[in-house]
Amino acid sequence: MKKLTPWLVTILILIPAGLITYKTYFLKLSLLPQKVDDVWNYHVSLKPKDAQATSVSFPIPRSGDGLKITDEKIRSKGIDTLVDRNSDSAMLTWLSKEPIVNRVTYSARIDINPVIVKKIEKDFTTVYPKQIKKYLKLPVLTIEEEAAVKLLEGAIFEGGEEKSLVARKAFYYVNEEIQRNIKYKTIVDALNSGKGSPLVKARLYTYLLRRKDVPARIVAMLRLPLINEPPDEKIHLTFANEVFLNNRWIPVDTNRALFGERPDRYLVLHHHFEEIEKTISKKKVLYSIQIDRAVINKFNKAEYRKDILRKGSSIGFLSLYKLSLPVQSIFSTILLIPLGTLVLCLARNIIGVPTFGMFTPILLTLFFKETSLAFGLFFFLAVVAIGCLERYVLDKLFLLAVPRMSIILTLVILLLMIIAFTGLAEVFGASHIGYFPIVIVTSFIERFSIMLTEDGWTNTFKTLLGTLIISILTFALYSFPTLEILMFTNPELLFGIIAILILIGKYKGYRVSEFIRFRDLVSQLKKKAKK
Amino acid sequence: MIFSQLRELGILGINNRIGRYILRHNKRSSYPLVDDKVKTAARAEAWGVPMPENYFAISSFGDLKNFPHQISKLSSFVIKPANGSQGNGIVVISEVIKDESGWITFKRSSGRIMEMDEIRHHISGILSGLYSLSGLPDTAIIQQKIDMHPVFNDYCYGGIPDVRVIVHEGFPVMSMVRLPTKDSDGKANLHQGAIGAGINLKDGTTHHAVIKNQMVEVHPDTGHRLDGLKLPHWQEVLELAARCYDMVGLGYLGVDIVLTPDHGPILLELNARPGLAIQIANVAGLVPRLERVAQEVSKGLTAKERVTFSQTHF
Repeated sequence: MKKLTPWLVTILILIPAGLITYKTYFLKLSLLPQKVDDVWNYHVSLKPKDAQATSVSFPIPRSGDGLKITDEKIRSKGIDTLVDRNSDSAMLTWLSKEPIVNRVTYSARIDINPVIVKKIEKDFTTVYPKQIKKYLKLPVLTIEEEAAVKLLEGAIFEGGEEKSLVARKAFYYVNEEIQRNIKYKTIVDALNSGKGSPLVKARLYTYLLRRKDVPARIVAMLRLPLINEPPDEKIHLTFANEVFLNNRWIPVDTNRALFGERPDRYLVLHHHFEEIEKTISKKKVLYSIQIDRAVINKFNKAEYRKDILRKGSSIGFLSLYKLSLPVQSIFSTILLIPLGTLVLCLARNIIGVPTFGMFTPILLTLFFKETSLAFGLFFFLAVVAIGCLERYVLDKLFLLAVPRMSIILTLVILLLMIIAFTGLAEVFGASHIGYFPIVIVTSFIERFSIMLTEDGWTNTFKTLLGTLIISILTFALYSFPTLEILMFTNPELLFGIIAILILIGKYKGYRVSEFIRFRDLVSQLKKKAKK
Repeated sequence: MIFSQLRELGILGINNRIGRYILRHNKRSSYPLVDDKVKTAARAEAWGVPMPENYFAISSFGDLKNFPHQISKLSSFVIKPANGSQGNGIVVISEVIKDESGWITFKRSSGRIMEMDEIRHHISGILSGLYSLSGLPDTAIIQQKIDMHPVFNDYCYGGIPDVRVIVHEGFPVMSMVRLPTKDSDGKANLHQGAIGAGINLKDGTTHHAVIKNQMVEVHPDTGHRLDGLKLPHWQEVLELAARCYDMVGLGYLGVDIVLTPDHGPILLELNARPGLAIQIANVAGLVPRLERVAQEVSKGLTAKERVTFSQTHF
């Protein structure tokens, strides 16, 4: 029997630890649903370089592969705008009768997801549709360039490879043999020195592929700042490629060693840079781009749910994400209750804070959470006033207990009415008042009034204060969304809470309050010992 | 660690009291024997343990109809909830006053006059469970009022003092006398401000006193010194306390005893969760004594032998 507690506690801790390990290491589920932080606020402002120009154009992101654009706003102050969208890119043009002197702006909210093409199959396509043919057009090269590229071609291709292999071989070469260096801006420079700017590398890759009759294009994109990067870092265009294989465009990045993948750190502005190169050159337009993370603190529960249901039927079966949304929201609140009991047990049994009844503090906390802290406190104090009224007025009438309690209940309902009429609930930021307060109040007022009669003001208010402190502390704990979502995602943690509760229940040491209570005794005993 | 001093001095804390002594030594099934005063009284009668006489009990609101008639025959009485705790809900009526027209009023030990309505309201409060440990409907007991032993004349302000003895496995381990004060409204309840005076188990003399965890030397209302009070019938008090263990079988028990002027010590009530302030009143920790008793439990001593053991060792 003596060994029962440690065994039980160990088992209760191992259950959640095991389940969580299984979920994170074997099912590769994240411990929590990922925070929705891949939403960005994008903002570009620009004006033509030439003071006399009456039009200016700039690429704008377009919903499609990995991108979702919402809340687009164009500010142009009486200037006409025109959006030219083709299948994957968009160009915004401001057109005016007068020269454009002031800056014009475009802003949008952008949701970015990574683009990953897992399986790239062999491609033997010979005939391409009309709209793809422009991506096979060979650029005009100088004789020097032509010779250099030809030489290189002979070195990396055996001849007769299928198209996906061509794309890979060229990728390996450009990615590994040409170091990124923004100083080298022409193909000849790059091939001679083994160094090249991102644009040159992208160009070289495009040429190599097009010469082998593989459609390819240069993608203009923005690299987004990491979470801990300073947000004011200037954002420049950078470049990558896309290759047309098996009837779809596949991202390739020879500057960052990515084949078939574009992480969500890159925002594509235009998929065909050659087409817009001249329009947006620094000779034509002055632009500045701002992009920052949209601050929304929501967890992507919907995605997590899909993940869980996909990854393991047994875990999916046990998951609360399986439940309907209203039931989910109930559980996400009530799963916090055991955490509250933990605070309560610590406060009562280890610190020795006095409270009214066992669970009044937690009921209060739930009430605070349902309405608001300010309103909850206000209501609680109003109820204390009713308790005093009971002590000083109703006691004088000598009423039987049940009618007396019923009067109190009626008074509480009157109080709720007053609150509703005066709009006090809105003042304190409470959206609605439910039946809940009545439940708390019935248990509370009577205890309060009796305690006031028997133990006097001092003890009653100590207890009142203790109750309030615990409920406010618990409320603070409940306000961490991460905690709520952690419990909801991993409800097996409840076993761990039981384990801690057993340990607290087994605690036979002193309470902090006893340190104060026996203060006098300790000093007397020490005096006695000295004698 | 801030607690190491408390531990070294052998002070018993609440968690330890519950976890190691109350939960281990007090069988849950025996609780009604001490919590319900009607049951305690029945058991005490069977064991020949003297207790105050219960005149009658009121267990339903219907019984309240007869109440004025029944009560008019008494000259003094005490109203108690059968399942009360900490002296809550107890009203002591020292005199039933009848005027010429037959109108009855009641004089409390504190001197305050109560009307019949007030008394009935108080009893109905008891019946609805206002004072019961569990909050469930309760029974009110109308009990013989006990007179104060003259030895306490200079030590009391209203009400009757009682002697609390902590009995562990039948061994008296610590004792104090609780003296009512003005603050405690004549109740012998330390929570409400009564004095607790520690008693030397060997001879029944008080040596230290506390009010609400603070040491005091003189009675705040009478000004009398609180140490050196020698209680009469001390041997009988301890033996009575020790026998209560045999009677109810609770290994960690608080026995409350009153000294009457003519019948000697009688049992007032038993408590399965006695408080810890007795340690302050005695300037001594309970733990070493409780642990010493643990070594003697298996010897199967009689109540008298256990008292002798305690008087020699504590």
